[in-house]
Amino acid sequence: MVAALVRSDLRIRYGRGKVRVLKWLLDPVAALGIYLVLVAVVLDRSGTAAGLSLACAIVPFQLLITSVLNALQAVILRSSIIVNMGFRRTLIPLSSVATESVAVLASFTMLPLMMLVYGVAPTAAVLWVPVAFAVTVALAAALAYPAALIGVWYPEMVPFSVSLLRALFFIAPGIIALDAITGTARDLLPINPFTGIFELFRHALLYGDSPPAWQVLVPLGFAAAILALCLPLYRREQGELAKLVG
Amino acid sequence: MSAVVAEHGVRSGAGEVRLRGVGVRFDFDGQGRVLTPVLSHLRRRRGSAWGLSDVDLHLEPGSALALVGATGSGKTTLLRVLARVLPPDAGEAEIEGRVGSLLAADAGLQLLLTGRENSELLGVLAGQSVREARAGLEAVAERSRLGDAFDRPVHTYSAGMRARLGLAVIQSISPRVLLLDEVFEALDHEFRGIVERFARGLRERGGIVVAAGHDHDALSRICPQAAWLEGGRVRMQGPFAEVIAAYRAA
Repeated sequence: MVAALVRSDLRIRYGRGKVRVLKWLLDPVAALGIYLVLVAVVLDRSGTAAGLSLACAIVPFQLLITSVLNALQAVILRSSIIVNMGFRRTLIPLSSVATESVAVLASFTMLPLMMLVYGVAPTAAVLWVPVAFAVTVALAAALAYPAALIGVWYPEMVPFSVSLLRALFFIAPGIIALDAITGTARDLLPINPFTGIFELFRHALLYGDSPPAWQVLVPLGFAAAILALCLPLYRREQGELAKLVG
Repeated sequence: MSAVVAEHGVRSGAGEVRLRGVGVRFDFDGQGRVLTPVLSHLRRRRGSAWGLSDVDLHLEPGSALALVGATGSGKTTLLRVLARVLPPDAGEAEIEGRVGSLLAADAGLQLLLTGRENSELLGVLAGQSVREARAGLEAVAERSRLGDAFDRPVHTYSAGMRARLGLAVIQSISPRVLLLDEVFEALDHEFRGIVERFARGLRERGGIVVAAGHDHDALSRICPQAAWLEGGRVRMQGPFAEVIAAYRAA
């Protein structure tokens, strides 16, 4: 069922025919490319492979924010189905994340591209990339449930929710790597679940070593806590969705 | 008060519907926004209205019931309970058998998807496997008689074309319970005949049909029984002609 929902989402987004693959490839480049050009060319930032370091944060963040954006609108966009037939609505937020996971895969081409640009050779640590991706998807799935509820409970809060997520990016080592930060900020930043995810990708692709355990455990802990709180709420609420959108 | 709706898992036998004291309540906050049980912990409830109240209904295999009543009388809410779209807030609802429902003007269709893509999606959501849904696509195309439009986005369809597609998808999932809400109003003469034949055939196979609307002539051809709803309650239930006569006289 999730696969059917994802296919329908992707068809709506990328259309049909041969051009859709091109759209799928170009879409993330258009979305992310501007950041990378800004850092690598316009700002000409010094430091170790600044563009690659930034890509290690922006690519997973793209998955997180697009998943939440999709989930915020998922129930409303499926309202015609929700008021017409009964089906497992707990799968709606999950299908948002699955859709964005497929969509963002094209963005991952930016990572080897940046490694090539900066002459960073892959090491065995690249095997951590699937783990980093899985942790990102887990956090995105956890965030999708409260996002779906906010989208129908408080539609006027949708822009604020997106701003909040962007703020989390800026209070994580997104633009600057954690190693380059000192003092109290350095101690506090790991509390942000995005920090672990961004640094996981950097260890896998930039530093070429194994990440410390907290970089996996903190985001997963957040995901588990959010799911423990919000999944029961969503499950209780799913039967009532037709009242809200009907 | 308990609220039990049969799970989406479907028994292959004949359809059966039992409602006992079913009620559906709508709560509102101070701004008139709908509240749900969870939301009512976050916003203060300022008012309530029962969209459906104390409804008892037993539909045996092979039966067909027309729902009549003024706009806002609870017909659509009752159909949504039967479609497992809304769980009852009071009483119990048991619906056995796969449900095929046409309850909305867009019939659950995604406007940016083509007829073919919608058919596959709705088939899967109704409980078919992807393989089953895909295998049935040509049959849906034929039954809907949409021709080339079957591969065009649904936003280009008229209301009648959407209803035809929705019905063709329902036929493909072989429902045991068929629910129709003001469908005849959108259909042309030829397709009304198709709906009527499908509904009669379903009843002969032990299925159940529940149809609501204001086209009483069309409803009378499908449903020998009728229920007149008023203010969310069943005011009268019985043979179609008697119920309609009482409703028109009121």
